[in-house]
Amino acid sequence: MKMTRREFAKANAAAVAAATAGMAMPAGASNLITNAELTRLNWNKAPCRFCGVGCSVMVATQNDRIVATHGDIHSEVNRGLNCVKGYFLSKILYGEDRLRQPMLRKRNGVYDKHGDFESVSWDEALDLMAEKFKAAIRDHGPESVAMFGSGQWTIWEGYAASKLFKAGLRSNNIDPNARHCMASAVFAFMRAFGSDEPMGVYDDIEHANAFVLWGSNMAEMHPILWTRVTDRRLSYPDTRVAVLSTYEHRSFDLADIPMVMKPHADVVILNYIANHIIQTGRVDRDFVDNHTNFARAVTNIGYGLRADDPREQAAENADDPNRWTEMSFEAFAEHVAPFTLERAARESGVSESRLEQLAELYADPDTKVMSFWTMGVNQHVRGVWVNNLIYNLHLLTGKISEPGNSPFSLTGQPSACGTAREVGTFSHRLPADRVVTNPEHRRDAEEIWKLPEGTIPDRVGFHAVEQSRRLKDGDLKVYWTQVSNNMQAGPNVMQEILPGWRNPEAFVIVSDIYPTASAQAADLILPAASWVEKEGAFGNAERRTQFFHQLVTAPGEARSDLWQLVELSKRIRVDAVWPAELLDQAPEYRDKTLFELLYANGQVDRYPLSDMEEGFANQESEALGFYIQKGLFEEYARFGRGKGKDLDDFDVYHQTRGKRWPVVDGEETLWRYREGYDPYVEAGKGVQFYAKPDDRALIFAVPDEPPAEAPDDDYPYWLCTGRVLEHWHTGSMTRRVPELHRAVPDALLYMHPEDARAEGMRRGSEVKVISRRGEVRLRVETRGRVSVPRGLVYVPFFDANRLINKVVLDATDPISKQTDYKKCAVRLELISLA
Amino acid sequence: MKDFFKRYWRILTTPSLHFSLGFLTLGGFIAGVFFWGGFNTAVEATNTQQFCVACHEMERNPYREMQGTIHYTNRSGVRAQCADCHVPHDWTHKMARKMEASKEVWGWIFGTIRTEEQFEAKRRELAEREWSRLRANDSLECRNCHEFEHMDFTEQSPRAARAHSTTLAEGEATCIDCHKGIAHELPDMGPDFEPHSAGLPGFESWVAHLERDG
Amino acid sequence: MKWLTIPALSLALLAAGPAMMAEERRDAPAPDGLRPGGTLSQELPAPPLAGQPRHAGREVLNYPEQPPVIPHGIRDYQVDLRTNRCLECHSRSAAVEAGAPMVSISHFRDRHQQVLAAVSPDRYFCTQCHVPQTDAGPIVGNTFLTVDEVLREMLERERGEP
Repeated sequence: MKMTRREFAKANAAAVAAATAGMAMPAGASNLITNAELTRLNWNKAPCRFCGVGCSVMVATQNDRIVATHGDIHSEVNRGLNCVKGYFLSKILYGEDRLRQPMLRKRNGVYDKHGDFESVSWDEALDLMAEKFKAAIRDHGPESVAMFGSGQWTIWEGYAASKLFKAGLRSNNIDPNARHCMASAVFAFMRAFGSDEPMGVYDDIEHANAFVLWGSNMAEMHPILWTRVTDRRLSYPDTRVAVLSTYEHRSFDLADIPMVMKPHADVVILNYIANHIIQTGRVDRDFVDNHTNFARAVTNIGYGLRADDPREQAAENADDPNRWTEMSFEAFAEHVAPFTLERAARESGVSESRLEQLAELYADPDTKVMSFWTMGVNQHVRGVWVNNLIYNLHLLTGKISEPGNSPFSLTGQPSACGTAREVGTFSHRLPADRVVTNPEHRRDAEEIWKLPEGTIPDRVGFHAVEQSRRLKDGDLKVYWTQVSNNMQAGPNVMQEILPGWRNPEAFVIVSDIYPTASAQAADLILPAASWVEKEGAFGNAERRTQFFHQLVTAPGEARSDLWQLVELSKRIRVDAVWPAELLDQAPEYRDKTLFELLYANGQVDRYPLSDMEEGFANQESEALGFYIQKGLFEEYARFGRGKGKDLDDFDVYHQTRGKRWPVVDGEETLWRYREGYDPYVEAGKGVQFYAKPDDRALIFAVPDEPPAEAPDDDYPYWLCTGRVLEHWHTGSMTRRVPELHRAVPDALLYMHPEDARAEGMRRGSEVKVISRRGEVRLRVETRGRVSVPRGLVYVPFFDANRLINKVVLDATDPISKQTDYKKCAVRLELISLA
Repeated sequence: MKDFFKRYWRILTTPSLHFSLGFLTLGGFIAGVFFWGGFNTAVEATNTQQFCVACHEMERNPYREMQGTIHYTNRSGVRAQCADCHVPHDWTHKMARKMEASKEVWGWIFGTIRTEEQFEAKRRELAEREWSRLRANDSLECRNCHEFEHMDFTEQSPRAARAHSTTLAEGEATCIDCHKGIAHELPDMGPDFEPHSAGLPGFESWVAHLERDG
Repeated sequence: MKWLTIPALSLALLAAGPAMMAEERRDAPAPDGLRPGGTLSQELPAPPLAGQPRHAGREVLNYPEQPPVIPHGIRDYQVDLRTNRCLECHSRSAAVEAGAPMVSISHFRDRHQQVLAAVSPDRYFCTQCHVPQTDAGPIVGNTFLTVDEVLREMLERERGEP
């Protein structure tokens, strides 16, 4: 293919010269290149690199470069549409400062924590890494090494990393930044249904009569799903849209029932709606009696802070917050009875009339309601509870698992579901909803992986926030991050993250495509390949698994994360990291490398290069001599097949626009737990929550408990952080696209004009935002896309030069360990008026 | 009956016995000035922004919506107060408007627009009333500041210059025909909305404009 | 008093020393990215709000499928359930008179690629794809090449080869 093009270009040199280089043209030539062979672009599909919606895009390549992208009309998700970020995907890989070579801190020719970065070879970098991992495990045990990844890992990269850590290095200290994003959703799914991820699909949008946004700004964060909601609302005028948030944002533009509530009031509102459903006699008794149980959750569970924090010491159930006891429907009704309309209105600041309209969307049996939520609910010190409270409403009314009736948890990363959740790259998980604390689950994994019993450690590893703390405390000696930027995205940077990364005890490795804030704090930087520079797979929020081919070559010596993982594994021998007892059980592994143990294990390496689709490069497989992506995927897929998480054959995904699991006999599943849609539901059951032992979903009774920190006289404002449409997460890709950067160049402090006036500030003033943990300098914006109520300020976190997470408190939901980025207390100090 | 009138006519026309004509004229004048001033001060007080947004209904929507707009905050700090646009400047029209406004006091006392929903329900009606008033007086309140004669078309965008030098100059359209919704959010401009001016951009219908199967 | 100075100074140095060293360690030298290298612990000043030119002039597209950026200010433009300010000028019927480009014909197709009588409702919120541009300069350059540039580069390389 490449040769043809080159030969052709040579043959047509004159024509191209005339047409494109502005040279003298022969008489009759036009300024249009009419040579079909030259203007033909090589188009291929790939899922978008950004959020969890999982739009499919068409990527045009020419001469090993991406030259255009546009929405894929064959994709059911987006039908030809993209948001502004998606339309500029073509440019995200071409930032001038792409990392092209490994770089190591050195002084006098050797590694030194306090040295300057120098370019090194891959061999030097990987050898040093191997040495550091081995030394740490030898001297301090496997708990002294950790890895941090994300929902931007491709499925096989996350799987390879998880396997390397949990089976190879025998450390469960691997966590994705999806911990900051989806962990609360995961725990609530497991509590209520026993199986992670939504029962519904995006098709619910075209069937629903009402949409409720709980702490989600879909208009900016999930724009393409918002186009579908908008389409539904405007085409069918009886459709109702309710938007609930702590400030007004763009999703309010479509709202029939707009509601700005006081921070943390969602628990009260949700309990009120449950009460309303019960009091007005609209409980679907048949559904409730046959398909649900009621549970009273333990209370006073703390805030996931360090154990010596007085707030933790005062919390009696902080150590074991994920517990509950059974209760009756009557007891549940009694529990929610005090949550009256009057109380909900008083405590939330939302008018009674609007709360009642909202409650009626759920209570009215003729309204098909779809609930959406993201970070307003998940990044919440009671995030798991709030997730459960939303399920309560759908379960009480039976509005679940059928077209249009759908509680739908949205995701923020392209493979938060596909990789972080399904592969189980969390510190407590194994593939397909298994957990490391369950001996049977560990045994399943050890069997599939052909490992001796006891290989996988039985203790939950360090989660994201804990990793930062352990680095600071000196417990972690080697720390490797890929596809993430925790120095910017993690909470409480100055007190809990930066000190740990720069702790002389720790060796910190960052794989990335650009010099991010995290890379700048690292000791070794590894240049990564991204997106279509490698063969990959993502899983989106509606359980859709999508594949993409390598379409261009990564620049310089940049290599995929998968290649990096595999190359490291070749440099570590099993007997260097396994204890003697385990080696005795499997003496045949003693002399093997982790590569041979984990990847060249007769399973991952069983597919020859000839299985690869013709016409596409695949650098990792070509170097290894076997089709590693296919091998990893097929081994991984064994975990889910027959367990309600079935994936189709590898090759199918390259040919389709994705399929939604469980895929049984080649058929995808739209609505889980519902007979007629889900092949796992037994005939005659109608609805069956089969992932629960008694086939019943759980409805949870939880009270309202105060937030970890609230405004007071010293720090009088709520701070809420988040995103903007034009930038994705820490902006490392989007801020290098000129059009996106010019659209939103800097993070601003959004505040109410009256608050600004009271503080002697105005639009454009430079101010310090100060919390008990740190400060950051920002310009005031009193108008624009976000309209905040008095007493609350909003700052997006995309801006590396204004690290707002220095200010944020590292309090988490104690069950999910997900940080609450939406609520902490700050004060403002004027630097200059304009 | 005739006598009755005659008697009073005589009293009124007979010079005063106790006060001089001078005193009465001057005194009357001073009193007049005093009352007139007081009246005007009172009327002016009802023209201040504080008065307008003192009631919850006005503060909640019209005022808050205005806070980000160019008429509230801008480069030179000239701010249009509520009354600048909503109360005529000349005396006769101002009094007429104020009398009309007594109806609003009634509405306030009896809570016609107590909730946000009620405001939304009335938004169209309220806006239409202001638009037709401005259309009827040829956008007088706009022109109090934005005088047609004083515009430098070369400083305007080509599109604005074209519109101002044609339809506006010829009197085919008045300011409000194009500049609706510049200080407050527009109401639902749905299919039944008809732009009144000739030759001006129409509004797309967004609701139920498609015959699509369900 | 002089005899006090030296001990006082050394005390101050002793006190400040570890703190300074800690700072130095946190801000270890690093390559520049969006953030200057070696500044992580510092509070960088916030640049003034970027200017929003009222008439920026239309920009050449990078490729035909790219949504054009908005070459004018959109302050106070209302696009919500009640009205769409953008379409006052960019709708099919208004575009000519307003001197504005008409919305692309692609916008008249719905999800199923059916051509509709009016702009498809899923395209209603214009700023999901079309964004205005401030006058902010780039922090980091971008080496994206348009297909014309790629073709030219291919050609030049071919000619340069023996």
